[in-house]
Parts: sequence; C-alpha cells; structure tokens
Amino acid sequence: MESNKKYWKGLEELHNTKDFVEKSKNEFAESLPMEEVLNEAGLSTVAPRRDFLKALGFGLGAVTLAACQKVPVNKSIPYLVKPEEVVPGIPNYYSSTFNGHSVLVKTREGRPIKIEGNPNCILSQGSLDAKGQASVLDLYDASKLKGPVLNDVDADWTKVDSFVKAELLKAKNAGKKIRIVSSTVNSPSTKAVIADFASQYPNTKHVQVDAVSYTGIIKANENSFGKAVLPRYRFDKANLIVSFGADFLGTWISPLEFSRQYVSKRNNASLEGKKMSRHIQFETGLSLTGSNADARLPLKPSEEGIALLNLYAALGGSVSGSKPLANNPNAEKAIALAAKELSAAKGSSLVLSGSNDVSIQILVNAINALLGNYGNTIDLDNPSYQYAGNDAEFVEFVNEMNRGEVDAVFFLNSNPAYEFNDSKAFTDALSKVKLRVSFADRKDETASLCQVIAPNHHYLESWGDSNPVEGYYTIVQPTINPVYNSRNAEQGLLIWSDNAVTDYYQYIQNNWARTVLAQSGTTWKELLQKGSVSFPARTAGAYSFSRDLNSVVQTILANSNNLAKGGDKAIELHIYQNVAIGDGKSANNPWLQELPDPVSKVTWDNYAAINPKFAEKLGIAELDLVEIKTDKYTITLPVLLQPGQASGTVSVALGYGRTKAGKAGSDIGKNAYPFLSLVNATLQTAVSASISKASGTYELAQTQTHHTIEGRNVVRETTLKNFLKDPTSGTGHAHVNKYDLWNEFETPGHNWVMAIDLNACTGCGACVVACNAENNIPVVGRDEVRRRREMHWIRIDRYYAINDGGNKLTKEEEISELDNLDNVSVIHQPMMCQHCDHAPCETVCPVLATVHSSEGLNQMAYNRCIGTRYCANNCPYKVRRFNWFNYWNDSRFDNYMNNEFTQLVLNPDVTTRSRGVMEKCSMCVQRIQAGKLDAKLEKRKLKDGDIKVACQQTCPTNAIIFGDGNDPESEVSKALKSERTFYVLEEINVKPGVGYQTKVRNTVEV
Amino acid sequence: MRSISLFFRSVTKSLILVSFLSSVAVSSASAQDAAAGAAIFKQKCTACHGIEKAVVGPALKGIDTKYDEAWLIKWIKNAPAFIASGDAQAVKASEYSPAMMSAFPELSDDDIKNIVAYVKVGDPKPAADPNAAQGGGSGSGADEGVSNFMLFGLLAVIIIAFLVVLVLNKVIQTLERVMLQKKGIEVEEEPVAKDRLAGLKKLTKNKKFILFIVLVCIVFLGSAGWKGMWETGVHTGYQPVQPIKFSHQLHAGINKIDCQYCHSGAFSSKNASIPSLNVCMNCHNYVTASEKYDGKTSPEIMKIYQALDYNEDTKQYGTNTKPVEWIRIHNLPDLAYFNHSQHVSVAGIECQKCHGPIQTMEEVYQYAPLTMKWCINCHRETEVNHKDNPYYDKLIAAHDKLKKGEKVTAAVLGGLECSKCHY
Repeated sequence: MESNKKYWKGLEELHNTKDFVEKSKNEFAESLPMEEVLNEAGLSTVAPRRDFLKALGFGLGAVTLAACQKVPVNKSIPYLVKPEEVVPGIPNYYSSTFNGHSVLVKTREGRPIKIEGNPNCILSQGSLDAKGQASVLDLYDASKLKGPVLNDVDADWTKVDSFVKAELLKAKNAGKKIRIVSSTVNSPSTKAVIADFASQYPNTKHVQVDAVSYTGIIKANENSFGKAVLPRYRFDKANLIVSFGADFLGTWISPLEFSRQYVSKRNNASLEGKKMSRHIQFETGLSLTGSNADARLPLKPSEEGIALLNLYAALGGSVSGSKPLANNPNAEKAIALAAKELSAAKGSSLVLSGSNDVSIQILVNAINALLGNYGNTIDLDNPSYQYAGNDAEFVEFVNEMNRGEVDAVFFLNSNPAYEFNDSKAFTDALSKVKLRVSFADRKDETASLCQVIAPNHHYLESWGDSNPVEGYYTIVQPTINPVYNSRNAEQGLLIWSDNAVTDYYQYIQNNWARTVLAQSGTTWKELLQKGSVSFPARTAGAYSFSRDLNSVVQTILANSNNLAKGGDKAIELHIYQNVAIGDGKSANNPWLQELPDPVSKVTWDNYAAINPKFAEKLGIAELDLVEIKTDKYTITLPVLLQPGQASGTVSVALGYGRTKAGKAGSDIGKNAYPFLSLVNATLQTAVSASISKASGTYELAQTQTHHTIEGRNVVRETTLKNFLKDPTSGTGHAHVNKYDLWNEFETPGHNWVMAIDLNACTGCGACVVACNAENNIPVVGRDEVRRRREMHWIRIDRYYAINDGGNKLTKEEEISELDNLDNVSVIHQPMMCQHCDHAPCETVCPVLATVHSSEGLNQMAYNRCIGTRYCANNCPYKVRRFNWFNYWNDSRFDNYMNNEFTQLVLNPDVTTRSRGVMEKCSMCVQRIQAGKLDAKLEKRKLKDGDIKVACQQTCPTNAIIFGDGNDPESEVSKALKSERTFYVLEEINVKPGVGYQTKVRNTVEV
Repeated sequence: MRSISLFFRSVTKSLILVSFLSSVAVSSASAQDAAAGAAIFKQKCTACHGIEKAVVGPALKGIDTKYDEAWLIKWIKNAPAFIASGDAQAVKASEYSPAMMSAFPELSDDDIKNIVAYVKVGDPKPAADPNAAQGGGSGSGADEGVSNFMLFGLLAVIIIAFLVVLVLNKVIQTLERVMLQKKGIEVEEEPVAKDRLAGLKKLTKNKKFILFIVLVCIVFLGSAGWKGMWETGVHTGYQPVQPIKFSHQLHAGINKIDCQYCHSGAFSSKNASIPSLNVCMNCHNYVTASEKYDGKTSPEIMKIYQALDYNEDTKQYGTNTKPVEWIRIHNLPDLAYFNHSQHVSVAGIECQKCHGPIQTMEEVYQYAPLTMKWCINCHRETEVNHKDNPYYDKLIAAHDKLKKGEKVTAAVLGGLECSKCHY
C-alpha cells in the first residue's frame, strides 16, 4: 500500500512561503554579488595595457618565487626505548569507562583518538551515545587549566597541599563543618576515599547534587516501598510503554541502555516474529522519545498530574480528585484508550513520568503496582546508581554556609554557581566559607570563586572505577600520560587526609582486591582486559502499593493549579535537557555544540519552542526575540516554531548560557537553570511564566531548513496492521522503472552496501559524532551553519507528518489549512552518501575526482577535486559537503579545531581536507582497507562483521548494518532482503547502495 | 649522473677490495694464524670480550703473557669444569665476575692457539692499511673524490684537446701566411678582421638564421623546463646528512642483519618504523667497533650512548636522554596512504624493489621516485601473490570468470582505484 502521507522538513516547506520557494531555488544561502561585480566597478573600468602587463609580470614573478620554496626537511624521531605494546601505525585498544558505560579507547602512538562501546558492557553492549563519542575531544580541550591555581596564581602541588592541609586543620580544630559537594558519585573507590577523608575530618559530609535531579523518583520509592533507590527499568520486557514526559531515549536516566532495550521490541527481528511494542507518549515539548512514539499527545505540565490521576482512576484505582482535562479532549480520549490497553498488558507494561515531583512519582508507582509491573518491567532489587543527588541536602548545605557553619568546601564535578537555580544565594553563601576548593579542569563558574583549583584528570588520563547499576563494576584506566599538570581529585583528598596510601592507583587496586575481585575471583589483569565485572542479578521482587493517596492527590492538584494560573500572556514554561548538551557540563565541546538537536535541528543555541498556532495567537513569528519572565528571572530568546509543542507552553533547553565554559562554549545561548523552582524540596522543571515579544530577531543556525524535498516521498512508513497483512506495505515499490542509461557496474569481489532500519533508528545522533571523530570532520561554527555549510558526512533528517484522526492528507493546500499542528508524527532518517551504482555526481565531474570502485564505493579523490561543486548540485540526496575554508589552518576557526593541541585527536589514517574540495561519506574506506588487510595478513577469508563502519559501530540500536552485499550470508544481505526494504528516490534509478527499511507504527485506529 | 657515480664507486670499491685482499695474501705466514683466530674471535668471543676493553668478561690484551697456552686451552674449552677441578689460577680467574664463562668444547687446540695469536697481534693498525682503517664516512668521501677526479680529468682532457686544436689552427694560419708572403703575395691583415665582423653583422640580418637560433633556444629551454617541472617534488637521490652515520652497507650488506630485525614494523604495520635505540643497544651494548678507533668506542656509536645517556663504564642508563632526530628520506605526501605490511607481508615484495640496493648504501638515498606514476606502473605489472591466501580465493575465482588466462595484477583487482590509497 502506498503511503499518501505528506512529509515536510520544516514549517517553511509546509507552508511553502514565497520566501522559502525563492530560496530553495538558490544554490547559496546568500545571493552572490555577481550583479554588482558585473555592473559596477568590475567591468566598467578600463584596465590600461601597462597595468595589465604589470599585474601579469608581478603574478608570474610571485608564482615563480612561491614555487621556489625549499622542500621542508621532515624529521623522523623514533622512540628511545619503544614501549613493548606500541607499534607505530597500529592502534591499541584499552578498556575504560565513560559515565558508567564500559568503553574501548583507541589509541595511536600513545594518544587516544576514538572512543567505542565495549561489547562486554551490560548497559551499552558495544554501542555509545553522542556524548561518549565526543568525550575524547574534551581531553584535547585547550581551555583547560595547565596546573593548579592558588589564590588566582599558578602554583605547584606542594604549595596547594600545604595550604589546603593547614586550612583543613584549622577547620577541624575549630569544629567547623567540611563539605564535599559533587554530582552523583557511583565510583566505589571515590566513595571509599571520601569515607576515609571523613574519618580523618569527622565533620565532613558528602553532598551529592545533580544538575538535573531524580530526587523525586528516589523519594517516591522510599515513600511507596521503603527503598530509596532509582529502579532499573526493563524496556525489553515492556510491550506497552506509556510515558508522561520521560525522555528515556534521549536524556532520562540511562538513555543508551533504554534505547537498546526499547528497540529490541521494535526492530526487524521483532517484526519478523510479528511482534512490536506500543509506545504512547504524553509530553509538552516534542522530545526525541516523543518523536519515536506510536502515538504522541501534547500535554501541558499542569495537566500531567491530572492525566495520571485520570489514568489511575480509569485503571480502577480508588482515588478521589480526578477531573477531566477540560482543554485537551484528545489527551482525555488517549488516556481512556491507554487505560484499556494497559489493563490488557498487565505485567508487561511500563508507565513512566519524567517529573521530579515526589507526589507524581508516587502516583506513577501506584499505577505500576496496580498493573503488576514490579518484578517484571521495573526492578527495585537491582537498582541503578546513575543518579543519587538530593536537592534538599544541597539546599540545606547552602543554608549551612549562610549561617557560617562551613569552613571548608570541595567541589567535585559540580558547578553550582551555574547549575543551581538560585546561584546568587549560592555565591553569596559561598563567600562566607574560608577554604573553597574546586577540582574542575577549568576555571568554570564555581572554580573562579574558589581559592584553590586543583584540576582533576580527564577520565582518559586517570584511574578510576564505577558502579552504575547493582552488581556491575567497571574500571577506568588511563590511556595517555596527563597532558597538563593535573592530578586525580581522589589523590588530593588522600594526601590532604594523610591517608596511609596516597597513590590513587594503589588505593583502587587495594580497594578492588578487597571487594569485587575477591568476590568474583577475577584478577586485576583480567579486569583491565575485560573492562568490567558483573555479578548475576538478584531476582526482582514484586511490590505492592498500599499508601493512602489522598495527600498526594491534594499536592498534585495544588501544583497543577499553581502552574496553570491564568493571565493574558501566561505560559507554562517547560525546562528540559537536549540530547547533545544535556546539563551543560561539556558545553565546551564543539562536536556536541554542532550536533543538531534531533527534533528542531538547531545547533549552537537554545531557543524558546512554541506551537506555531499559539505563536500566531500571541503575534509572534519564527526567530522573533521574546522575553520569558518569571518573578525571579528573565531571559530573551529567539522563537522556534515547534509543531507538536503543547499549546500554551514554551520549552527551553538547559545547558546553555555558560559564562566560563571555555573558548567554544562560553556565551552560547541563555542559561535556563534559574527558572527551576524548588517545590516540596525537589527542583521542578515546570514553572508558570509570561511571554512577551522583545525587539529584534535572531537567526538560529538550523541544519534542516536548507533543502526541500519538493514533495517527493523520501521516507516510507506503514502501520503494524498493514505490515502484518502485507510486509511490503508502504515501500512504494510499484513505481520503479527498470531501464538503464548506463552499463551495469561489476563488483566481482566485495560489494559494500548498507541497510538502515528506520524502525530501529531513534534519531539520537551518536552516529554523527562518531563519524566526526573517525573521519576528521571539521567543526564550522554557528555562522557557517547559518550559511548552510555544515560538514557532517552523515546527517539525520527529521520529517514531520500530520495525523488528522486517521485521515491521510495528500494535498498541500489541505495541510496548510489545518488548525492543529499539535498532532504531528516524526520519522528520523539517517542520510549519507548512498554510494549509487549510477551516481549522478560521477557523470558531471569534469576532472574525474569522483569515480566508482569495483567494490561498489563512490570514491572521492580530494587532490583531484578542483571545486566546481557540480557533483553537489547533481546529487539527489544532498550529501556532498564543500570545504569553504581551510578549517584546519584558518584563524577564524581557532575556537574549534584549529589549534595544535586539539588536532591531536585527528585520525592519522584519514587526510584532512583542504579548502576548495568536496568531501562526503566514504563508507569509512580506511576501515574497509584495514579490515581487508587484517584478513590478508592472517591468510583467511574476510568474515562478515570484521569491518564495522563508525556509525554502525556506535549505533545504540543497531539500526545501521554494513557489509558485503556479494556475500549472501552477510547480515546486510539478509537485512536488504527484508520485505520492508526501499531505496530513497528509487524512481530515479540511481541504484543506491544504501537500503532503508520502512518505519512501522503500531497505531491503533480509534 | 647518479648511475655514473655509482658505477665509479663500485669500480673503485672492487679495486680497493682486490688490492686489500692481495696485500693480505702477500703478508707473512704467521699472520695466517691471527686471521683465522680473528674470524673465530668475532664469531664466538665478541659477545663477552674485547681486546682493549672489558665488556662482560675482562679485556684480553696481554692474556698470552699472563697465562700459558696449555692453561688457556683448558680454560677456554671448559672453564666451569676447569674451575671445578680446583686449579688455583682458574679459581682466581673465576672471581672476576659472578657470570661464568661458557664452555667451548667445539674449539680445537689449534683454534684456540689462533685466537691467542690474534689477541696478541690485535687488529691491523690504522697505518698499515689506510683503506680499512678509515671510518665509513671518510671512506665514502674518498670514493666521491675518485669519481670526481675522473670526471674533471675527462673535462680537462677535452679542454686541452680543444686548446691544442686552436693553437694548431693558429700555427697553420701563420704558416700559410708566411708561405703566401714567401710567394710574394701581400696579405692585408686589417680587412680580414673587418670582413669577419661584417659576416657576423650579415648573419644577424639573416632572418632564417635568427629564426633557427630562436627555435633552438625555445626547444632547449622548453625541454629543460618541461623536464624540470616533471621532476618538481620528485626527490630521487635525496641523500641528506643523517645525525648518525649509520651504514646499511655494513649492517645489512656485510653483517647480513635481516631488515626485519630493525624495521619490524614493515611486516606488521603501515610504518616500517625507524628502530628505537633499545634495538641498537641489543648489539651495541658490546659491539663498539673499538678495534678501528684505537680501542675507543666509535664516535658514531657514542652518539647512541649519548642519546640514551648511557655510561659505557658503569653500564648505567641516565635520565638526560635526547632522541635522535633522523631526517626522513622517503616522504610520501599526506594525501597518499601507504601500508608496508600489505606490500611486504602480503605481496612478498623485496625491500630492495622500492628502496634500491640498500645493502650497498653507505648512506641511504631515495632510490625510487615515489611518484604516483611509479606506484601505478608497479600495480599494473605486479602479479597478485594470492597463493595460499584464502582471502583472495573468491576474488580470483570471480576474476577467472571475467578474464581467462591473463595475469592477475594488482590493477585487475582494483589496485588502480582512487580510494585504495587516497582517503
């Protein structure tokens, strides 16, 4: 069945505004000043013959002189004593840990250049998210401190140590409090170090606070079941997921793990078994998770609690106070439907809420207990330790400082001056503390208020460990000598507390030998090789809920009323984390800044997302600056019209507006943390605010308004019902013409092809950053993205489609007349060079810089390219990228990659491209060549899976499969044989090498 | 020019070798023992002993006067047994070092006598044979001088011959004039010169002649320019002065050390890799070439020790290290990816194919042009080494279907495609 849905890339395309139509015809974002040149000075002036000859002579002389330069003498400096394990030219892999996920670090000649997931990791199973991929760049961040700082002066460690020790002793003798403030610490050794420190200084307390907190869930579990833990959610056991604002695929708790689990119920294997989970998302802003849902309904933050009350009532829970959602009949209907489906899926369903409100989370617990999900999809007995921050403790800590009770404070991986909602109260209170020490690697917002900055190692430079979930322990091992004069924070604490062991490496070894290694019977070497130790999980117990919900209901209703208080320009402000920047800790990472938001495709900025129809009502247009105001804080942000945003709400991302992040990340966007409000001892992400138009506009750097798909069907989707009837439904195969202008390309040996499952791709963007790291792709910065000059070889196209109660819309006029831009569905489509057999780019290149290989690759020879850009114009997929600048050697790009230190991250097997040449996805040809060579050296056949391209390797959901299409047994051949396979723009018969599988939506007709 | 000078060099070298050998052959019969002893000494003893200098064992100079020959034979044949037998001198000798000297039962009494003879005589003194005594570097300088001398000689001969022709010409002219004068014909000198200039002037007005000259100039300059441009960036023959005068001729040629011993990366990695100094020290721990330097360590080997901050006497490594900055000779541009292991291990190509007669190079120079044309030509001509390598089975089978009977060169398997080397 042919899908007759209408897809569009952005609102401009949907409305087909005059401006957009004009622009889409142009090759460049800005019109070139050709007319000026031709009309004015350019042609009208007469060049006298003598001038002409002078210029000619000078030119000839200059060129000759320039060509006469001596060939530079290259030095080749071998090791004095070569480390046994290093062979120049061959990468080494070490296991380490990023953010609780075991990873493999690829090093070349002693410098880490790429992070990959460790297949032994029980959370990621070999995949990695965008932040993990980008974390290697933080190692080479030129904005980091080069050594310890004491009272704003560079100092050495002995001075720092004696100063801190003396101050600590004073605090101890005075009986004053000592506080260690950190984000969640789940490292057993760090915890032990802090405990040892506390035994030396008995007034010490460890305060954990997370920028984005999960205190609500932990408190609710304590209240409901007596267990103050963050449970482990099992999406791989859930057939029905109903989420209220929990962005579990993007940012919520453990998105990498959840993505893999979630997709295991929706991927090809699952569909072949004729099964697919169903996912209903109620949320305010259109999140990555919402964009993947089978049914998504916009819901204001004030309606969330009531909706959950209604759901609980509809499921048969005894609760008073449920009331219909007066202004949201769609959600009301959906809740009734969800209740019906949930009752049918007892024990294999999952109800979630992204709220940090204890009452709402208690209600969610009640619903899950009612559905019998504990012990099945929710595991309280093998809890997650990824977040353990406690908002109330931190508030109490600020009060303690205010009262002058605290004499020493240490900040470990925590930056409250930026992240705390009341940063003024915090900074004022902090000034009363005598000893202020920060372990930050740079002079960030908090560190600049401290007397001592004792820079901590980057994780790739240090030893460490982690215990992200119950029974799973991972090790952090260094892969490079510390670049700067930094030191493990733990080592500092050990020295300052006069510990018997002051070497942190030794301390970790002792700690592990005593605990995990002894219990599991593994040796230290085995641990380093494998990267982790996991113990068998405990049996997850079933829990029943028996609390009285009356007070909970009252709180929920009161909060809801507070949020929804009316007013003409009143809005409900929703504060969220986006996928790339998150809480803003790695805001100085240009790879992450340039990674487009999965839904809005905005880079390098945050913005106020508003529903288009609501904006029209307010008289606000796209990119207008608006002022968002609460009684405490005001910011001015550009508007982004976001289809699917709940009407009457505005969403603003956290993590921006850093003032002291570093060269690339400072003063990017606006800080939204001060909007967070403390309600019932937890920080809430929703707040009542007002919006008004400010003067001026601001152009956001978006990547996906650049091209138009001109109404062609680029993405294909079907419904589960139709798929079960006819697996080929939605692929649009009927229209393919079978005649060729060109001869067939022969691929006698290998034929490298790729299969991408649109039903597995969540659009998270990990592949984009992995590709950046693997292929030396430059960062171009905000201004260049505005000029449509981003360089990503792989992009994820996001297409919107409108659902109008099951009516399919075909004609453009009908769509633009729709009142409702709430109800959009989204498809994410990774798009890179399709390596067409009949590639349109190849036929137009005047210098044969892009030609076909006998292995099915579309090759790009950079040194042949003369930059006519004909190929980019002739590419139907718009995947070719032109180097407008020499990004590696141009002072305009100093903040990104143009400095010697940052360039240490480059992959030495891939050239950096110079100005004036075209580049594009090479299907990681360096990896193909390396894989083939390994097979040749070992004198064996090439096995399927020997070669993994970077995007495939990191994909959390295995949506990308690469391999040899000539091998009928290869995974990719099997995937391409799936009935769901279609090729993008199949009808133009360019024979792409990348096949896609249709998106299947598990929709239920109401 | 390179080939000419190489030719001269090899000729002079063989001459020197022949003269040296014959001089050795002529020298006294007693030296026969020492020469045989030298061979055995170098094979068996140098790992632990020097003549002038203590290595692991003591310096051996004067050993012939210290011990009598019979004692020495017993000691060398089986020192442990000799010590165990309780010989007082042997027990005393064993106190030199805790490491016991190995037994050499395979040596005959004559062998040992020869060794002792060699130790007594030592290496031939520098004065005795200038060619052998001078270090590698200066030797090559002498070679250069010979070939240059011959070139200059040739040039001088040509110039002299030209001058002779000129002089003879003048003489003939004078004689002719004298003869004419004798015959009574008056010869006016001046007009002749005028006529000559006039002839030249006439020539400059001859358009055909001018055209010819211009054409010759254009062809000459054009061809020189064309050739120059083709060779821009081609550094064949590039032979920079290296920080250490390392001789491949000595190591790979004479001592026949396998290339892989030092350039182990060539077999497994993209880079052939210059050996790190710990590899040098495997041998130069005791090989100091002191026999050529009056018992002192060779100044070139000293550079290794200095780089590692190694103290010869105490055999301790210090911390004041300084890496050796070799000058890179074979320098592919960054845009080309080249992998040694593919060529050396998979294809089984000899190092010499690209690096030339490396075993004869006193100092390394770039042998191959390293241009893309050169790469491509080789890929066109070289058959793929697919025997016993199952990786190629499928490719070869597919290829056989396509082109029966032809050579399966690298080019046939896609070896000319851009992204085999450029990415």
